[in-house]
Amino acid sequence: MRYLRLLGIFFRTELQFELAYRVNFIAELFGLVMIVATSLAAVLVLFAYSPTMNGWTLPQMLVLLGVFYIVQGIGELAFTPSFERFMEHVRMGTLDFILIKPASSQFLVSLRHFRISAIGQVVLGLGVVVAGIAQIADRIAAMDVISFLVALACGLVLIYTLLLVLSTLAFWFVRVENLLVVYQAFLDAARFPVDIYPGWLRVTLSTVIPIGVAVTVPAQAVAGKLELSGLGTIVAVAIGAWLFAAWFWRFGLRSYTGASA
Amino acid sequence: MLRAYRALLVAGFQNASQYRLTLFLYVFFSVLRPIIFLAAWVAVANARGGSVGSFSVTDFATYYIALTVVLHLALSWNAYEFEFQVRQGRLSPLLLRPLHPIHYAVVENLVWKMFTIVALVPVLILTGITFGVHLTAQPWHYVLFVPSLILGAALRFLFGWVIAASAFWTTRVSSVSTFFDRIQFIFAGQIAPISLLPGALQTVAYAMPFAYMFGVPTDILRGATTFEQTLVFLFVQAAWVVAAYLALQAVWRAGLRAYSAVGA
Repeated sequence: MRYLRLLGIFFRTELQFELAYRVNFIAELFGLVMIVATSLAAVLVLFAYSPTMNGWTLPQMLVLLGVFYIVQGIGELAFTPSFERFMEHVRMGTLDFILIKPASSQFLVSLRHFRISAIGQVVLGLGVVVAGIAQIADRIAAMDVISFLVALACGLVLIYTLLLVLSTLAFWFVRVENLLVVYQAFLDAARFPVDIYPGWLRVTLSTVIPIGVAVTVPAQAVAGKLELSGLGTIVAVAIGAWLFAAWFWRFGLRSYTGASA
Repeated sequence: MLRAYRALLVAGFQNASQYRLTLFLYVFFSVLRPIIFLAAWVAVANARGGSVGSFSVTDFATYYIALTVVLHLALSWNAYEFEFQVRQGRLSPLLLRPLHPIHYAVVENLVWKMFTIVALVPVLILTGITFGVHLTAQPWHYVLFVPSLILGAALRFLFGWVIAASAFWTTRVSSVSTFFDRIQFIFAGQIAPISLLPGALQTVAYAMPFAYMFGVPTDILRGATTFEQTLVFLFVQAAWVVAAYLALQAVWRAGLRAYSAVGA
């Protein structure tokens, strides 16, 4: 409960920050509309030539694209800004100020800073998902919707744990911004279903950098392509990843030598 | 001028050779992007029984490999740094130098590309072998590709600077840049070969400068144009370059008048 209150405070502070520059904010939102609109156009150009792509119909593809922007949006909303600041703290030695606070350091590092305009990306993604679902609404069972939500939550957990593990490496390597850039580049590949990619890329997007799984699996749930075993696997993997990342974070903290050490 | 360029190039080389990891990552990602869309088009082609229009799966591979080469050699990105310089007032000392600031950008651009193309070529050759790509271009295609590439790169560079010059009037250059970047995304041949863009989109694509930056040199490189078409393309490219140059002159002069720097 305490953590929810803290989260609310952090969010409100960042919101005030960003709304102080109103034109900036609106310009960012406009940029997001451009980005989503052109990605939508790209998908429509592809589907002008075929009603299906590797077994995916256009409405299903729209759902996938929407999930892509939801996942990317949530990542850019809280995780990426917070972890970028975290790396700054490690480099400058100011992490000490966070560590002495009476709350979980993992929480304080992961959810401290927000880029509020990324909410626009999540909303636009949601819009695209709805546009896709509207066309196949009659074929979606209640179970599919639940699978979708569970898979989406697990996908977000996987993204979060990946970013946390990458950021934890900062304790040893300090300058790991390039690793975050790696994440961003692979993220772009998740705009299409993972099954269209050649072997090595598909495997990478499903395991090492699970961004592909985080986007494709929820879309599969809505498309009725997800078996219960598949859902079970992603839930198990998400739980395992969370436990590992939390342990790795504590392990990294032990190696941290502060500014005056 | 030649001596100035030689000095700048040497300095640029020394500068760039410190960024080996960034270089590697950059090369890696420039190959990743085309693979994403190549895989998508291959999936569409397979759903249609192996081809889309005149493009077989191998043709798509050839196209995207050629596009990667062209993108690599024709892209420019100096716009962002320029905005930074304007905002911080760092443009003022640069304006006092005898060499126009744009020359520094040209050199930096060239140096970076010399480094990256060395790393990129083996990767592309490997990709080409994997897909069973065979080169069907005539020798004159390769000869005419060189001026086409240079024109495309010059066009992209000048256009990028016209956008960057908006920094003289607004702090939201990145928004202007995003806007044109996304339009370029659709119309320059990245999401689809221009000849595969449906009807109206294709007409619009050929009316805008973006196609002439990347799409046209790519089509020439893979030998998909007739001799007459190639000459027409080269002519249109040259026309766009002249237009962009004139636009940049005008915008730059107007911008300098509006420019008030920190501490100026």
